[in-house]
Amino acid sequence: MMLARVADSLYWIGRYVERAEHLCRISDVMLTATLDDSEAAATVAHIAMAAMEDREDLAPGQLPMDAVRSLLFDREDLSSVVNSLARARENARQVRDQITTEIWERLNMLYLRITHPNAEYEFSQASTAYLHGVIADLHLFKGSTDSTMSHGQGWRFLLLGVHLERAQRIARLLDVCFGDPSAPEALTEHLAQMAVLRMACALEPYLRVYTAEINPLFVLQFLLFDEDFPRSIRFSTSRIEDYLDRLAPHASVQNRAGPERLAGRLKARLEFADLDETLAPGAILSGVVAECSRIHDAIYETFIDYPLEQRLHA
Amino acid sequence: MQASRSLDGVDRFRVVESSEGRSSPDFYRPDRFYDEMFAADGSVRSHYAALHARVASLTPAELAERQRTLEQSFLLQGITFTVYGAENTTERIIPTDLLPRIIPSQEWSRIEAGLIQRVRALNAFLADIYGEQKILADGVVPRELVLGAPSYRREMRGLYVPHNTYVNVCGSDLIRDDKGEFAVLEDNLRVPSGVSYMLANRDAAKRTFPGTYRAAGVRPVERYPDLLLATLKSLAAEWRPNPQVVVMTPGVYNSAYYEHAYLARLMGTPLVEGRDLVVHENLVYMRTTEGLRRVDVIYRRVDDDFIDPLTFRRDSGLGVAGLFNAYRAGNVVIANAPGTGVADDKAVYAYVPEIIRYYLSEDAILPNIETFLCREPAQLSYVLANLDKLVVKAVGASGGYGMLVGPHATQAERDDFADRLKADPCNYIAQPTIQLSTAPCLVDGAIEARHVDLRPFVLAGQKIVVTPGALTRVALKRGSLVVNSSQGGGSKDTWVLAEGDHA
Repeated sequence: MMLARVADSLYWIGRYVERAEHLCRISDVMLTATLDDSEAAATVAHIAMAAMEDREDLAPGQLPMDAVRSLLFDREDLSSVVNSLARARENARQVRDQITTEIWERLNMLYLRITHPNAEYEFSQASTAYLHGVIADLHLFKGSTDSTMSHGQGWRFLLLGVHLERAQRIARLLDVCFGDPSAPEALTEHLAQMAVLRMACALEPYLRVYTAEINPLFVLQFLLFDEDFPRSIRFSTSRIEDYLDRLAPHASVQNRAGPERLAGRLKARLEFADLDETLAPGAILSGVVAECSRIHDAIYETFIDYPLEQRLHA
Repeated sequence: MQASRSLDGVDRFRVVESSEGRSSPDFYRPDRFYDEMFAADGSVRSHYAALHARVASLTPAELAERQRTLEQSFLLQGITFTVYGAENTTERIIPTDLLPRIIPSQEWSRIEAGLIQRVRALNAFLADIYGEQKILADGVVPRELVLGAPSYRREMRGLYVPHNTYVNVCGSDLIRDDKGEFAVLEDNLRVPSGVSYMLANRDAAKRTFPGTYRAAGVRPVERYPDLLLATLKSLAAEWRPNPQVVVMTPGVYNSAYYEHAYLARLMGTPLVEGRDLVVHENLVYMRTTEGLRRVDVIYRRVDDDFIDPLTFRRDSGLGVAGLFNAYRAGNVVIANAPGTGVADDKAVYAYVPEIIRYYLSEDAILPNIETFLCREPAQLSYVLANLDKLVVKAVGASGGYGMLVGPHATQAERDDFADRLKADPCNYIAQPTIQLSTAPCLVDGAIEARHVDLRPFVLAGQKIVVTPGALTRVALKRGSLVVNSSQGGGSKDTWVLAEGDHA
């Protein structure tokens, strides 16, 4: 049993935390790649900026460093990392009674660090180290969530947020790279292929499966379909389905297009899709993004924002 | 990330190496005020001896380090209040002082007995004025004083209140009078706060002075949350076997939000806002992920005015429409009951000793501060003649509004206030300028005397329990008598010693 508002907040903590991590990682890869002045570097910068929704390509003469700085610290920019963390923390504050002290302190500390007056200076001194620090802290947050919080309803809502955000973000990244087969820059450079794997934190796991033979099709296949890699879309959708399956029997009204049904359908679609289909990956990727939004809406209708008359004296 | 590493918990317990040729912190000499640590002749009171010796063994730098560690841990835990500014919004910790205030067991027994007596009498008073009104009929308390008070809720007339306990959670403010005896300055019977700081301060003090704490035989306060839960459950026990208790908060922007979340977390009860609750056919429900769940007891931290827009303030968005009707129907318990504010009214306060005598046939164990009611002509003329010595307060107001501090006012201000007094004497009371005791506090590495008060917490359900501890509020500015956190006040832990040879 859990307040609907609390479930809502936990879900958004998951989404914002995942978003912050994803943005930091993409920024980090972009900063490293653009140290070289090459064609591949330009491709990577393009992919990075496009994968972060509603962002323009780097303007001529704009330094990647400045783009990342504003992505991290700009309070005016609603999708900046600092705002994601601030919102995650604000949501955590609203459900402070529902999360453990360990979880709260991790998140609070992250927020205090990124809003510290010295933060921008630290970043400008050692940008990669700074981004790695934030990502490592986010991992600590997730670790304490995993190891101190009961793996019950609240935890499932939090992880639902994480995996929905993750599936959508990775789908977006892949869509930028593979969605339009006619686009010429599509991942011919070895360096760019490596960079995309890094953006999904997938390089090492990929190498273990496919060895150092990197080709675009394998990259796509790995990030879409790998069963065990925690950032593949298939992995996330299967988590989403699992959490919703466990949550759904608690909701007293079974509506027909319940979120668990949508999630099951998405999971099945990814399970039975095969390589031929992935030759036209644009459709499947935009399908994933659209299905995730539908699941999000269904979660709201079922658990959070349901009409009262439905639940009175059922 | 080296620069901000101190925010991490990792080096929180770093021990500072003591330096060669160490110096002790400077202590102060007691002033004309009663001091908690030093007797008037400058000797250390026996119950403070161990702490005094321990502090004297630390260098100012070590003390400062401990203070810093303490503040860091408060910041990390989020024990903060928000300061809203035009440009940006910052969070500050509630200033907290390292050195505990110590109360010996005999002194505490008197406080405890006095508070229990007072809460019993005030609950009897509330049951009476919302019931038969005998005390008014007998002329002990003037009828118009009670019935005319804005905090008197006619809606509460004749309602059933479990165990007749209107006040379930009480946080009265005590101070020492000039003779060093505890007296009641104010009863807080509405939604008293501060208990989370009592618990957080205790947690910090245990880490700061573990040896001294263990040796002193300090009585524990940690049971407060489960005693609170038991008290709340006892209010519905007669009609619901395992009542659903919730804590109701105005929301995250309330300055005491940390405390609301803290208590909910430690009691294991949902923390709800008005928007989480629904009233249907006089039953109260909360919106959960599984549908609607019945709510039986609401520990509300929302003022009377805001709990139900249909009954009280119509513009309130913090409450629940229909809540009061559900309460009237006996389907939910609200703690504290609406309408308790009338009993901590500044004018009613003056009658509390009479109230105790009337209901309990006992003399008040804890005295009041002498209070002059300007409604009484004789007392009014005394007040007018002594405006330069008295503090005059408006009855209905709080937080320092409509107040004259005679000794600090100019003649013109006093003349102006005298006119207001004559025009509306019923609205004012006067008290001598109060003499708060002082206690040792760490200020910039030195130990200095600062004025303190004492807010113990009383729970009343089936029985009345006083938690053996309190929030000691500190006026951090030298010489200041204002302990409110909104005006530069801080707090410190309060050690109530167990009986035995510790003290």
